[in-house]
Amino acid sequence: MSNLSLDHVVKRYGDLTVVKDVSLGIKEGEFVSLLGPSGCGKTTILRMVAGLIEPSGGAIRIASTDVTRLPPNKRNIGLVFQSYALFPHMTVFENVAFGLRRKGESGTTLDGRVNEALAMVRLPGYGERYPRQLSGGQQQRVAMARAIAPRPSVLLFDEPLSNLDAKLRDEMQIELKRLQRELGITTLFVTHDQGEALSLSDRVCVMNDGIIQQFAAPEDVYRRPATAFVASFIGKPNRLKATVRGGRLTLGEGLDLRTDSALGADGSATDVFIRQEAINLTPTGADDANRIPGTIALRSFSGPQVQYVIRIAGGHELVVEAASSGTASHLEHGQPVTLEVRPQDVLVLGESVRS
Amino acid sequence: MIEQRPGLSITTIALLVVIFLQIPVIIVVLASFSETSYLTIPPQGWTLKWFEAVFTSSNYLAAIKNSLILAVGATVISLVLGVAASYALFRKMLPGSEALTSLLMSPLIIPSVVIGVALLQYFTLVGLRGGFLVLLIAHVVITVPYIVRSALASLSGIDLSVEEAARCLGANGFTTFRLMTLPLIKPGLVAGALFSFVTSMENVPVTIFLAGPRETTLPILIFTSVEMGVDPSVAAVSTILIIATVAVLFVAERWTGFHRFV
Repeated sequence: MSNLSLDHVVKRYGDLTVVKDVSLGIKEGEFVSLLGPSGCGKTTILRMVAGLIEPSGGAIRIASTDVTRLPPNKRNIGLVFQSYALFPHMTVFENVAFGLRRKGESGTTLDGRVNEALAMVRLPGYGERYPRQLSGGQQQRVAMARAIAPRPSVLLFDEPLSNLDAKLRDEMQIELKRLQRELGITTLFVTHDQGEALSLSDRVCVMNDGIIQQFAAPEDVYRRPATAFVASFIGKPNRLKATVRGGRLTLGEGLDLRTDSALGADGSATDVFIRQEAINLTPTGADDANRIPGTIALRSFSGPQVQYVIRIAGGHELVVEAASSGTASHLEHGQPVTLEVRPQDVLVLGESVRS
Repeated sequence: MIEQRPGLSITTIALLVVIFLQIPVIIVVLASFSETSYLTIPPQGWTLKWFEAVFTSSNYLAAIKNSLILAVGATVISLVLGVAASYALFRKMLPGSEALTSLLMSPLIIPSVVIGVALLQYFTLVGLRGGFLVLLIAHVVITVPYIVRSALASLSGIDLSVEEAARCLGANGFTTFRLMTLPLIKPGLVAGALFSFVTSMENVPVTIFLAGPRETTLPILIFTSVEMGVDPSVAAVSTILIIATVAVLFVAERWTGFHRFV
């Protein structure tokens, strides 16, 4: 068990820099997700940690040892692939035993460790089967057992759940979290699924365009996004153009918003983010809330939630999410409503531009 | 997907084509049982004496031995060289991989007679004349494309992350090749090796330029005996070859399901 650190890591392909000076420290036993859209450099970082790609610059340390130039087989890592990458010509037992055999394990010790790993992923007695005889979820478990059996210093996951259907994905998420807790292995988990990242991780590292946007606990990333990118990537925010006037934020004539965020200079234009789920559609609410009058422009029902598009003054449109079981679930097209938003949910981020 | 069953007319045509293609084989097999001392169809009488003649002829036995040693030797060498070359080419370890691949495959396209003449000139130039070694080198040249072709096809079917997974689990490059790559391309290699073996076994145009009297191979012997007047022992030895080939193909198909690689 150990910690993992990236120190000013850079990866260039010709003129294209896909990872730009990334520094990241992961504590012992910590579960960290790399979250970002495709092409943000998260998989490249994972593959550099595994030793499958050589960085153009910077250093990678596992347990304080510089592994930057070491081949993957000398790094003591466990990698779970998106495609599982099980060895098709070997039984489940031999798949799981592969890493142990490379470490010189044999005989009853080997049998014991393989069976222990299979029991951990709840696949006891599957040793004699071949990967093609297993379902997708079972293959995923074998891939995990194979990665954890040699007790690696660092566990790496490359979008491991994205090939599973939604129900199985939820199950495996819980399974994975439980396993990581039990073993206490430092884990780096690459995903583009924010729900996955937020629910699994101790800390989430949000990336875009080869740069770390924010590295913080899931709640902080959600409630206090550091950049406009994080605010727009996590959750389902409304993004509005506003102006700072007289120390207040205004969306237009008579549409002032109170906010807890720090504001730019008077007269500057800024982006305001308000999450769909932070807007209250009931007629009464906390007294300190912003109240914005509007009309329902569109209603769409999606099971547990109802989404409304609400038109407010100044030509702005906001998307609002309400629980299907709530009082605001049956508002109709054209009906006037009042939106309530607490000041702490009005997020002002990014560069302020003078108008 | 809807399974399309071919119509009756298509089935009939296909069957006729198959029969047409197999007529020479049937004729040669039938002729080998004839009691006459010349080739004739339908066979007159039934005898196994021509088979006996083959197995008691020192010429035929020597030629069969030569051919077997040559075919096995060329196939083994081609396997080693061809797999190594294919792996390097597939992983783009060398500049100009595409051009090199085409070059290695060129004996498939260049007429064999041309290769025969070219090799004869080349060996004369470097001072190698006749002998088993010359034949072996020549047969490696003409059989290596079959190995390369099947090895490249098999390699492209391997999920690269399987090799990466082995690397991450502590296997070095060679162990990964031995335990992952090689077993996964084995069925393809068996198919390639069979083609290589058969190609060497039946080759006339290249061998005839290079083989001295001591290295006469079976197809060369058949070729020359036909020139000197045909007796049914030629048909008998051909029948033996046909049966041997069918047997090998049957075993290989059972073993590797190798029709997928042809």
